[in-house]
Amino acid sequence: MDEEALIRAAQAGDHDAFERLVRTYDQSVLRLAMNLLRSPEDAYDIYQEAFLRVYKNLQNFRFDCSFHTWLYRIVTNLCLDHMRKRKVRRTESTVVETGAGTVDLLDSVAEERAHGDPQRALLSRELKGKIEETLGGMTARERMVFEMRHYQGMRLRAIGEVLGTTEEAAKNCLFRATQKMRSALGAFV
Amino acid sequence: MNCETAKEQLVLLAYGELTFDEEELLEQHLDGCADCRADRVKLERVAGLLAENEPEVPAGLLLRCRRDLSERVDADRSESRGWLSPGGLWRRWVINPPLWLRPLGAAAMLAVGFLGARLLPTDSPALARMGVPQDQPALVSRVRLVNPDDSGRVRVLYDEIRQRELTGDLDDAQIRRLLLAAAKDPADPGIRVDSINLLKQQCANDSVRKALLNALRSDSNAGVRLKALEGLATFACDPETRKVLAQVVLTDDNPGVRTQAIDLLVQNKQPEVAGVLQELLRREENNYVRSRSQKALSEMKASIGTF
Repeated sequence: MDEEALIRAAQAGDHDAFERLVRTYDQSVLRLAMNLLRSPEDAYDIYQEAFLRVYKNLQNFRFDCSFHTWLYRIVTNLCLDHMRKRKVRRTESTVVETGAGTVDLLDSVAEERAHGDPQRALLSRELKGKIEETLGGMTARERMVFEMRHYQGMRLRAIGEVLGTTEEAAKNCLFRATQKMRSALGAFV
Repeated sequence: MNCETAKEQLVLLAYGELTFDEEELLEQHLDGCADCRADRVKLERVAGLLAENEPEVPAGLLLRCRRDLSERVDADRSESRGWLSPGGLWRRWVINPPLWLRPLGAAAMLAVGFLGARLLPTDSPALARMGVPQDQPALVSRVRLVNPDDSGRVRVLYDEIRQRELTGDLDDAQIRRLLLAAAKDPADPGIRVDSINLLKQQCANDSVRKALLNALRSDSNAGVRLKALEGLATFACDPETRKVLAQVVLTDDNPGVRTQAIDLLVQNKQPEVAGVLQELLRREENNYVRSRSQKALSEMKASIGTF
């Protein structure tokens, strides 16, 4: 069944079709939310909220844009709201919340020391911290564009459609974000 | 093209966002500019570092998201059917009626019961054959139609539920069919645990094994999934079972289930098991599950990471 048929079936109340639709996109939605919010619990919340909104509003989807664009608009808006509310923590950027409580991402690196090269582990620890810090220093839009282009492999035109902006504006965001990352990681390359 | 434009376009080149002509112009500039060539290399290295340090989605998170979404969608669906739908009417007026309606409801149920008892012959051979205790009244599950006529009589069309009791061996096909249905009963995890616990003795049967695999893969209750794992222990070499075990090791949100699945998976130390465990180690947060995987890998003389 192609995507349009799947959407129409889901609109007609076919639960299996809705589930298949969710499973087509949910891994990349979860990864995007996880990358943007750096917290499994926040990513979980975004996942639930986004797909519940899709479920409740699917009847209103009129194929004016691709389903992917529509879904990503919902997800990115939720993430933007979340990031604005939380004002992305910049000072404790390696600390994330997990199901088992608050965890420092750098702790997992320490574990590698026992098995690998301590110097390499230390470098990796510093690098992770630097990446977190730089991502925290980007504006929400820069970060959004950077994540969607770098990790999700989306074209700038599609990113522009999702964020309700032009391809040119998305390009500028990507350029600024990459520049920040390049300057921050200069010592590591 | 000057260096400033080239540096700007290098970013777009790295992401494949330049047109053929733009790329051509940039390549020409790079041929003659060592600075920009160095910048390109640097950019590629940064991209490499970022790829290596992308945060992992924790094991089990996707599965938890899917399960909970499914439950919330189901809840939303039954709620949105509204009180005008037959199900909504049933809940609102029969299961949880307003207080003022309760005495009336009780009287109506009595009347329906009385009417039913009058209409059904108590010595019906059909009932005896079905094993229905003849003195047990039926429960009215749903009134389909209430139709008064001019003479003051009312015609009521209703569905009824009868409790039946069936006793038999586990080999009995009817018992097995009921257990298979109970193993999927979404309302009662306790019944599912009991059913799976009984069914696991019949794991040689294909439909039973499929039910256990299905429970292991998708039941929302960890207790049910653990029971299914126990049942599948004797089939740890079966390719389909191994496929599901590998999936469970990497995606189940319960550390106990993941640990048990690892134990079954490593009973047969095929090469792909090492790959699954190495992948698990990359994303696993639970120390016990990590140490269990490391131990299994060292028993298999496999490295704990992929290089």
